[in-house]
Amino acid sequence: MQLPEVQLAVLEAASATEKRTIAQLAAETGEETTTLTGAAFDLAEEGLIEIEEREKDSLELTPEGRTYREEGLPELRLYRVAKEAGATETAASMGEVIGAADLKGKAVDIALSNFARKEYGKIDSGELSANAEADPDADEEAGAIEAIAAGGAGDVAPPVLDRLVERGLAERSQRTERAVTLTEEGVTALMEGIEAADTVGRLTPELLASGEWHDVEFRTYDVEADADRTYGGRTHVLRETAERVKDVLIGMGFEEMDGPHADADFWINDALFMPQDHPARTHWDRFALSEPAEIDDLPEELVERVENAHREGVGEDGEGYHSPWSAEFARQLALRGHTTSLSMRYLSGEAIGDLEPPQRYFSVEKVYRNDTLDATHLLEFFQIEGWVMAEDLSVRDLMGTFTEFYERFGITDIEFKPHYNPYTEPSFELFGTHPVTGELIEIGNSGLFRDEVLRPLGVECDVMAWGLALERLAMLTTGAEDIRDLHGTLADLDFLRNAEVSY
Amino acid sequence: MPVVDIDFEELRRLTGQEEKSDEELKTDLFALGLEYEGETEEGLQQLEFAPDRLDRLSVEGIARSLRYQYGEDRGVYVPRTNSPDWRYEVQESVPEERPYVTGAIARGVNLDEAALDSLIQLQEKLHATMGRDRVKGAIGIHDLIMLKGGAAGSEDNSIEYRGVEPEEDTFVPLDADAELSPGEVLSEHPTGQEYAPVVGDYERLPAIYDEIGLFSFPPVINGRRTELEIDSTDLLIELTGTDQWTIDRMGAILCYALAARGATIEEVVVEYPDRELIRPDFGVETKRLAHERVETVLGIALASEDVIDLAERSGLDAEVTGSGEGGGSDEDGSAGNPIYEVSIPPYRQDVLGPLDLIDDLGRAYGFNDLEPHYPDVSTVGGRHERSRLGRKVRETLVGLGFEDLLDFHLIAERENYDRMGLTSPDAAVGGADDEAGAENATDEAGEADATTPLGGAAPARIREPYSEDYGILRTWALPSLMMVLENNTHRPYPQDLAEIGLAAGRDDSENTGLAEFRTVGAVLARTDASYEAAKSRLAALCRAFGVELETPPTDHPSFIDGRAAEVRIDGAPAGVIGEIHPEVLIEHDLEVPVAAFEVGLDALR
Repeated sequence: MQLPEVQLAVLEAASATEKRTIAQLAAETGEETTTLTGAAFDLAEEGLIEIEEREKDSLELTPEGRTYREEGLPELRLYRVAKEAGATETAASMGEVIGAADLKGKAVDIALSNFARKEYGKIDSGELSANAEADPDADEEAGAIEAIAAGGAGDVAPPVLDRLVERGLAERSQRTERAVTLTEEGVTALMEGIEAADTVGRLTPELLASGEWHDVEFRTYDVEADADRTYGGRTHVLRETAERVKDVLIGMGFEEMDGPHADADFWINDALFMPQDHPARTHWDRFALSEPAEIDDLPEELVERVENAHREGVGEDGEGYHSPWSAEFARQLALRGHTTSLSMRYLSGEAIGDLEPPQRYFSVEKVYRNDTLDATHLLEFFQIEGWVMAEDLSVRDLMGTFTEFYERFGITDIEFKPHYNPYTEPSFELFGTHPVTGELIEIGNSGLFRDEVLRPLGVECDVMAWGLALERLAMLTTGAEDIRDLHGTLADLDFLRNAEVSY
Repeated sequence: MPVVDIDFEELRRLTGQEEKSDEELKTDLFALGLEYEGETEEGLQQLEFAPDRLDRLSVEGIARSLRYQYGEDRGVYVPRTNSPDWRYEVQESVPEERPYVTGAIARGVNLDEAALDSLIQLQEKLHATMGRDRVKGAIGIHDLIMLKGGAAGSEDNSIEYRGVEPEEDTFVPLDADAELSPGEVLSEHPTGQEYAPVVGDYERLPAIYDEIGLFSFPPVINGRRTELEIDSTDLLIELTGTDQWTIDRMGAILCYALAARGATIEEVVVEYPDRELIRPDFGVETKRLAHERVETVLGIALASEDVIDLAERSGLDAEVTGSGEGGGSDEDGSAGNPIYEVSIPPYRQDVLGPLDLIDDLGRAYGFNDLEPHYPDVSTVGGRHERSRLGRKVRETLVGLGFEDLLDFHLIAERENYDRMGLTSPDAAVGGADDEAGAENATDEAGEADATTPLGGAAPARIREPYSEDYGILRTWALPSLMMVLENNTHRPYPQDLAEIGLAAGRDDSENTGLAEFRTVGAVLARTDASYEAAKSRLAALCRAFGVELETPPTDHPSFIDGRAAEVRIDGAPAGVIGEIHPEVLIEHDLEVPVAAFEVGLDALR
């Protein structure tokens, strides 16, 4: 019979009468435990040995523990130096002893506290005296470290082990311990004699360079065994949704906008023809800033035209709001409640100069709502904002654009419910069916910008616009039930790590 | 959005559609934009709608809209009014903050429990919406029987709107048993306390008198003497406010609802020192509308008769008054470009321009009957430069093994500073005791200089946050990442996290007073986290973007002394890198070391 070398080693090290653990085999054969485990499973498959598995608590040294094993425990180093310095007779300066023991940083505190705890001596007002009775060579903890390193912590008193774990020198973990015994077939095979086949565990550069790999047999692995879990880097699931929305919009000819998060109420509300006494502009709904409180400059002529639209309306038969309007309110700063403030900046020419139709613009950016935080409401969320500027746009063009957009996300039965916004007319709430629950849910708000919005901005053609919360789309596509898992510092890494990739 | 509770039985009766099932009604209401929200404890049906058609805040108004939808009614309807018998005299003493009054008399009202509830609901809903919580307009409804004319010293039936000192007079308000002065109402009466802020700045308080005396303290509370009862048949309605147009519209909506219940509306004379008005204002306004615009906005060809028909079905009237430019060809079945004169009934407070009329026509036509059409408009799409850069940096960080995060920009002040070992610059200002010191500190607050550690800039501050947990905009990203680590100590390590996001600090040189920027933050939380591990990743990022990285030593309170460096990119300061200080780790309940870096996104350009 011919067997790979490692398997032969296992077989020879195993006994028919006594269980031998893989660790014991490793000590005996000098092979890696993983290699031996693989070999043992192969042998078990052949019926030559039996494997018994047992969950076992095991102890291992931490990197710090391993360092102390080599360099000695700090308190012992301290004691030895102190004793040499004669501190058993007269107290020595703590600083000098520490220096002589070559202790630095964190190790100093560790040395001092354990020195005192283990009664190697006393520390009193900067003076250190050593206990002449103490025997550093009999230190239980040092002994335990050696025992753990040798894989034989079983004889060490449990309180000592607990202390090592508390000190962070050893770590407890659960591991599966496997023990092997020879079967009768194994004993027979051994008695009949087995030859070692030439096998290797790892393909090394030397094997490749020498060409030796031709002549060796590769040890087989337990290829069904679980591997360690790897997380690796990945893009945030909500960001992925945002990127996908951007890709879709760019494909539809939209160009991306960018602009301030903290902006004057003028850009956030006044330019949008939101009356200053509109309930949404009360301090409870806005994220008004106390510092900084006001914008320095607004385009004067534009402000005048907007104020005029609020007071008098636009056009021959136009009508204003019968609401108070003050430039002071318009200058106040707030975190934007919608990214329509960006649309206003772009349409007015303030952002990148005057725009000639046709144009398509979008943004997928943060907006802020002063609200309470719960499973479906965030204080800040991403708004998808888009608009099309062209001559003679109709409600049907608007419907066609949104039908196209939502189809990309699997929503094909979009319904348009006539709605009211101060800044668009006609306006529509968009409804679609939740792909899982079948519920009809609101998925956006849209409309044609009013003359009262566009004319003061200097836009003479039509503009249709819509807005939608990205999180709502993401909850649809990821199945998340709590919006807080998706966004913010309460994020659960487990959720983010395991979220299914969408594309 | 406004919510109104109505009784479907009542709705059936008022629309004359006794045979309609609840489900049919719900569908018809949805088409009008009224969404069914559920049933109230009292068994009423709750409807929610957008705040444009405030004439639908009552079952009477909704019934009127449905009758137009069903084709039961067509065109503009204005209730008949009787000529005035009462005068409302406005005295010079009225509070200058609330100078306007309007009103009407409604006679022959037949109030049952449900009708009274509906009337009170309409009054409350109008207060909440157009009335801006009674600030802009408030309604008082009184039992006319209990009033005695002649307050102005004349023989006529008249009441008087005037301003009084808080303790000048007394009356028994609703829900009280004793005489109270207006001042006492504000301090002692529950309703008075609730609405005290509305008149908080008024020098004199609004008051309405008849010959007997003070009977109403608008916009706060009515007197008990004139309280409405089920058997009240004649009502006096008064509205006061800060804008005549607004209270006139509120008054018109109320009168239409009463008229729908069979009441006869009687005009009143409102006599200001300098002018006289006849109210309620049932004037029908007209606006011009170009046929071409209707076709363009709806995207369909319509005949002139269609437009007129749609208008009438919306409760409007339209007639052709002339022809505008354009149009011309009639080949597509359209009607050239006539100009319509559209009449708008007085209960419509929402019609500001032609688009509002087109919206009405579209609703009457049925928007969902329109065929979607992808616009024949060609444009070229693309990303903003910052978004391209952000995406590539994120890709690079993910490639280096970082989990990408998305944190809030709002943060608690203590998270941004104190828990990171920093001092809030504003706290330093507040702590300055002597005046000169305070002044200096104020001058300097927000002006980050070379000695300000990263993250130490003064923050943008929310004026009245719901929660201190979200009181400022973060000035850097690492505090957010530390919070995520803190909330995930039960999850497996390593936790290598990165975020590209917004941070901002006050900066007087910016137009908004705030410098907003994108920042790249990264943390390595793992047993072997080290300065070197962080630097090797930052260096990889810098190499990928072709910029030169230097890391001269620096002090930063969030990091361990001697293990922190300034990040200099292409020779300019761009951020910080180091091992997080144990105190900061303990503060965040972390039991593993953390190495971190943060750099401005623009430095990688």
